Amino acid sequence: METAEIQQKINDTIVKSLGVKPEELKPEGKLYDSLGVDSTEMVEVVIALSKAFDTQISAKEVTKLNSINEIVSIIRSKLS
Amino acid sequence: MEKIAITGLGVVAPSGIGKRQFWANIKAGRSFVKEITRFDSSKYPSHIAGQIEELEKYSHVSERLLKKIDAFSHMALIASELALKDAGIDIAKEDPNLVGIFLGNALGGWLYAETELRDMYIEGRDGVSPYMASAWFPAAPQGQVSIYYGIKGFSKTIVADRASSLEAIGYANKTLSKGKLNMILAGGMEAPVTPYALLCCNTYGGLSENNQNPPGAYRPFDKEKSGFVIGEGAGIMVLESLARATKRGADINAVISGYASNCDGQNRITPDAKGVQLARAIKTALINAKANPKDIDYISLDGLAIDIWDKGETAAIKEVFGKRSKDIPASCPKSMFGNLLGASGAIDLIITILAMQNSLIPPTINLDNPDPDGLNYIKKEASEHKINKALIISRGRGGINSALIIEKNK
Repeated sequence: METAEIQQKINDTIVKSLGVKPEELKPEGKLYDSLGVDSTEMVEVVIALSKAFDTQISAKEVTKLNSINEIVSIIRSKLS
Repeated sequence: MEKIAITGLGVVAPSGIGKRQFWANIKAGRSFVKEITRFDSSKYPSHIAGQIEELEKYSHVSERLLKKIDAFSHMALIASELALKDAGIDIAKEDPNLVGIFLGNALGGWLYAETELRDMYIEGRDGVSPYMASAWFPAAPQGQVSIYYGIKGFSKTIVADRASSLEAIGYANKTLSKGKLNMILAGGMEAPVTPYALLCCNTYGGLSENNQNPPGAYRPFDKEKSGFVIGEGAGIMVLESLARATKRGADINAVISGYASNCDGQNRITPDAKGVQLARAIKTALINAKANPKDIDYISLDGLAIDIWDKGETAAIKEVFGKRSKDIPASCPKSMFGNLLGASGAIDLIITILAMQNSLIPPTINLDNPDPDGLNYIKKEASEHKINKALIISRGRGGINSALIIEKNK
């Protein structure tokens, strides 16, 4: 899967699972700082990402202190 | 002790959202009890209710927050916003440490809980929303309202079955009277139109099974009474000291004169048939209000439409008011939209305030054959009466008795 495709899928998953608008997403910002994501929301995001990419992602691998760009790297390495 | 004023009304009910729409339907005596359409309830012995159809239309709550909260918190957020606007309060200008929230409910957030429990058994642990942990419990609306407005003062959630919200208002009144806070959002909310909550209400055995005639099903104090009908909604008010309300030029809807609450101490489900402790609660509220029974010119009835409950309530009123119990206008407007359980007392209080403001007592509908030895029931149509002091009665399972007295501001 291409990086751009992974990023789009992550964006779509975060928008859908958090109920935020696409324009609110900031690729470089930590989810906690840029969107105010709390711990319960992060559980929702991690489960949704696992389903979207059909791979097991743990709450320790992807946290609210990660940026979207960092999550792209984490998932890209898992898929490869 | 400071006198406490009610300066803002927020109502979210089957009869209307916002006090104008709500009052227009209440004074007209229109029924909003219908067959439940939200889920297939056809196999339940009672499958009728007062439901809110267009909550989203009145909502100021973001999609992101809506994903995390149950309907009862959503209703509480809308009712709080309506109450604050009605009171002309800019919450940003208040000292957040001196604002409180006192809310009551009986069931908690079952719509959210049921959905997530189903997902847990079907999909396993990963199927359960992490928001479940903070969405279902009875104090969730208190938490959500406090977070939404940044309220940080002493607050309480009261769970006392159907008396919950009147108890919350009584407790709020006491707290404000002692000068502990500047302002309180007080009332209650309930969302019982869900499969499991409806099942529990059915197994309790008090619901009307007159599914063929929903508008005629809830008939308190009528000879053909068949039990009550559930309803959903929220009633939340702004309470503050009369001195503060007067100083800021607020529209004072009513003043709280007195409150009392006690228990029958007899049975976990049925109340005392003679209403002995309810009578004592009313008498104590009158003493607390420094009022005489002859001062009361309207009684808002609890009216569960179950023989032992209605008989006990009537007996208590007769014990307190003697011969005048045949003269004081009394009604049970919730016959139009259902019993909002833990939120019922707050809604009854809002109706009483609107009745006081408009000098118009809304009716008990479906009261075609009242007991001739009963009370002075206002039935079928609203009736003009000046109200200076009114009594609101709210009761709950386990023999909980609450009585609140309000008066017009002089």
